[in-house]
Amino acid sequence: MPDTTPLPLTLQGKVVVQFGGTGLLGPALIDALVAAGATVVIASRSRDSLKEIVAAHAAAGNTVHPEEVDQHSEPSLQALRDRVLAQHGRIDGVVYNSASRPMKSFGDDLAAWRQSMDDNATGFIATIRVFGDAMAKLGSGSIVNISSMYGVVGMNPWLYEGTSMGAPPDYFFHKGGMINVTRYLAAYYGKSNIRVNVVSPGGIYNPAKPQAPAFLEKYEKMTMLGRMAEARELGGPVVFLLSDAGRYVTGANLLVDGGYTAR
Amino acid sequence: MNPWHSLAGRTILVTGGAGYLGSAVTEELDRSAGKVLCLDLPGKAAAFVRERGLRNTLAYDVDLTDVAGLTPALDAIMNEHGVPDGVVHFAFASSAGKTVEELLPSDLDSTFCRALTPAFLLTRQVAERMRSRGSGSIVLYGSMYGMVSPDPRIYHLPMRPNPIDYGASKAAVIQMTKYFAVHYGASGIRVNCVTPGPFPNPNVQRAHPGLIADLSAKTALRRIGVNSEIVGPTLFLLGDGASYVTGQSLVVDGGWTVW
Repeated sequence: MPDTTPLPLTLQGKVVVQFGGTGLLGPALIDALVAAGATVVIASRSRDSLKEIVAAHAAAGNTVHPEEVDQHSEPSLQALRDRVLAQHGRIDGVVYNSASRPMKSFGDDLAAWRQSMDDNATGFIATIRVFGDAMAKLGSGSIVNISSMYGVVGMNPWLYEGTSMGAPPDYFFHKGGMINVTRYLAAYYGKSNIRVNVVSPGGIYNPAKPQAPAFLEKYEKMTMLGRMAEARELGGPVVFLLSDAGRYVTGANLLVDGGYTAR
Repeated sequence: MNPWHSLAGRTILVTGGAGYLGSAVTEELDRSAGKVLCLDLPGKAAAFVRERGLRNTLAYDVDLTDVAGLTPALDAIMNEHGVPDGVVHFAFASSAGKTVEELLPSDLDSTFCRALTPAFLLTRQVAERMRSRGSGSIVLYGSMYGMVSPDPRIYHLPMRPNPIDYGASKAAVIQMTKYFAVHYGASGIRVNCVTPGPFPNPNVQRAHPGLIADLSAKTALRRIGVNSEIVGPTLFLLGDGASYVTGQSLVVDGGWTVW
């Protein structure tokens, strides 16, 4: 009989570095990593921005490790890598959830586009190279990039009519690029036993600051489940891809969009 | 509270549950789910349950290609055990095993009837009964050959390239998944498919070492998949961790299609 020993859907014993710990999604992903048993390092532009989440986990009896990093700087990323290795001995996974939104609308000054390139494209590849290479040296690892269904489809202007919400073009450029660079990275790091996948969420409901009612009403109709995602519904997909349960999955784009792109 | 990936207490129906991929899934469900209803060709499921000492798995002799018999068989199972919380449909990979030049119209008809008609009937029948409950997760099985063509150069004579009717039927499963996800989404029923890359069974592995080397070289991870590696993706889609995932093809191909 073939070996059917199940590969565990857990992050017990794994050290995971998450880039981007704030916003709607960041804290939910950290909660999922902690619940799955990982040792979690959160890397962010400013340590201050992580105070709240670190305190919340401390109150629940969990330790998460906040770190400051400048993703524009290779020395800063290398120093972070060295600190993580010194403190935790290894790196098993990376969650790339950083995003910067300098552009607000299609007509913005090109300076905003250039800033977005620097933050989102250059910062992404600089980070993945440093941490991908580190895991390759260790002999295994899993990288999960957070893209968006807006890396797969264009925006529907009808959704935004009658609201002050916008969908600036840089976001679509970076999220689409991230999906194909994920395939590149899967091919590049495959021989080093590093898996690289991407999770592409649909719109996530913001309970603290709900999206415009006109948008919500239309958006909900565009999904097959009739609702926006809850942030915590992204935790399962990310943990699955990081864990050994996803051991033969690489280069995949897992859409978590309630069926928005299925029709 | 159960962890998000827990299937404790759930009833899961698995077709082709004693095959190479199906057996790994059935065995893990036997450990982690409440009850497993394992359907396979006459005698196969019962023998598998006995040999592996499964305790929460009930074996059923169902030939899914017997279209007339499928509906009453499923009704009988659901009347006895209730509407399952999840379905995994492996049965089954169909093809006439012929080359493009040899394939007859009747071969194509036969492949599609054997691969697609049962997938359609099963999904519809179970999903219709899941509607009143307002929840359920159905996992169908595609293939990388439903996304890309086989490379004929790696199938050395006397072996023949993976046939055209197989890939065409698997492409149809990937599309059917999306259609069903849209159709049943409003009822809270999720429909996804797992799309495996190279998972040759042990007999093929023994008989064709050259093919295995070639298959391995074509993946980013440089190796074929083993059946334990299909379990995690399948259970993930069945469970609440995937509560916002529907209409998707989860590709488990070691990176076959990334380059």
